[in-house]
Amino acid sequence: MKNTLRNPYVYLMFIVPTLVLYFLFFIYPMLQSVYYGFTDWNGLDEKNFVGFENFVTAFSDEVFRQSIWNNVIFILFSVFIQVPLIIFFAILISNVTKLQGLYKTTVFMPSILSTSVIGILWGFLYEPEEGIINGFLGLFGVPDIYWLAEEKWAMLAILITNAWQWMGFFIVLILAAILAVPREINEAAGIDGATAFQRAWYLTVPLIKPIISVVVMLSIAGAMKVVDIVLVMTDGGPINSTEVMASYMVHESISNGKYGYGTALSIIIFAFALVLTALYQLTIGRNQERIEY
Amino acid sequence: MPTALKKTLPHVVLLTYVALILIPFLFVLISSFKESNLEIVTNPFGLTGKLSVDNYVEAWTKAKINVYFFNSLYLSVSSSIVGVLLAAGTAFALTRMKFITASKWIYQFVLIGMLIPGNVLFIAQYMLVRDLNILNTHWSLFLPYTAGALPLSVLLVAAFMRAIPNELEEASIMDGLSAVGLFVKIILPLTVPALVTVFIINFLGNWNEYLLANFFISKDSLKTLPTGMVGFRDSYQTNYKLICTGIVYSVTPVLIVYAFLQEKIIEGITAGSVKG
Repeated sequence: MKNTLRNPYVYLMFIVPTLVLYFLFFIYPMLQSVYYGFTDWNGLDEKNFVGFENFVTAFSDEVFRQSIWNNVIFILFSVFIQVPLIIFFAILISNVTKLQGLYKTTVFMPSILSTSVIGILWGFLYEPEEGIINGFLGLFGVPDIYWLAEEKWAMLAILITNAWQWMGFFIVLILAAILAVPREINEAAGIDGATAFQRAWYLTVPLIKPIISVVVMLSIAGAMKVVDIVLVMTDGGPINSTEVMASYMVHESISNGKYGYGTALSIIIFAFALVLTALYQLTIGRNQERIEY
Repeated sequence: MPTALKKTLPHVVLLTYVALILIPFLFVLISSFKESNLEIVTNPFGLTGKLSVDNYVEAWTKAKINVYFFNSLYLSVSSSIVGVLLAAGTAFALTRMKFITASKWIYQFVLIGMLIPGNVLFIAQYMLVRDLNILNTHWSLFLPYTAGALPLSVLLVAAFMRAIPNELEEASIMDGLSAVGLFVKIILPLTVPALVTVFIINFLGNWNEYLLANFFISKDSLKTLPTGMVGFRDSYQTNYKLICTGIVYSVTPVLIVYAFLQEKIIEGITAGSVKG
């Protein structure tokens, strides 16, 4: 009977299709990228090996430096503005009994929609004349702002749209963790006279620390790979002010035909992602003891 | 603080948030019935009495939204189903069959894929589909979508299959089931909850995917909803009523599905991201 589960042909039949697809669309492109990254390939002519030239160029490239900075802004905005708000709203929702289902379902909704449709939708909201955002600000006498056409506003406009799309997703994630904490703990603290704020800060937040660190990690990962929303809303403009690493990589390779340079940029993005993950694992991720109630 | 205020204050804050989510949709919905941009400016939240459905007819015919919609639907469904089945087969072989050393290595090897952000492979995948001569066909999306979902799917399904007790398969084998029979008749039905979760994660990911769809497909009749909608917006730049109509078309089906399956969808996506 043991032989049934030792049949190598059946084993291969189950494994091989997955491995072939995986190899073809993950491993092979990864290896190819490393190779292309060291060439000056433009997609048509011969590839010439150029050593580290692409990487050196990248770090002296004004626009690429700007796009690294924009990814950093994305990370800072997610971690220091979105995450506190997310925790705040999750605690608020966990404390109400009425309408809890409605809040949860509504805030989660934007995260199931396509980023490109959300980009189009917000592009309309940001329209200087027709959009409601200027219409609303106009009530307070604020003159029309050209949100997506002015360098100083475009990045903020994208950050707000991105937060609008993803905050609810993380709120629901944290909410689930809060609701898993036994009610008695909170009630006992309430009987001992702890205020709602004290209970949130000294009980709930420490108890859900593991999930908060997951949310921080996911936010950073999300901020590193952000691209669709930029391509749809501003396409990196005005004057490269909203270009992020991934969108610049796409522009340089597909639009400008610099495939060698583009893949070098993609390797840099990969390296950044690895470094951030490692840093995270060594710092916050390390002291993740399991919390027992 | 009086108790009444204490009770209502959280609701006031939360309802403001809910309003911030819903108002954009409401604004787009109302604008989609307007006759001109001027009307949107002068009377953003008012309806003029007559609800003109002309915009809906016009957007439907001009933008071929039905074509984009159908393309998105069958690409997402087919690649998610194939991906889920491949992952289930692989997870079965890795967790239930007796090739323990090989399985360990293969499992680790597949999980490496989760470290690689999708964007990073974009150019090399573009070259690959170009060399395979499938650029501008739906194969160029079907294959990367299916492959892209494999690492996380294998991880989730394998975790679920490990929890299935051994006695069950021993009994089935005694009764004369082959390995394939065991997979199809016993393990697969038991794994359905995990498969549904994985299907939802993959389906939504593929349904909303923009980057590959935008650069691998340029033929209008093959475009998916996300890229088709952007193309539509770009060709009717300032015709806001039409653009709003397009948004309504592309958002409504998703919201209807969400209304029915919200619990399952929320559970599916959040599970996928936490374990991933």
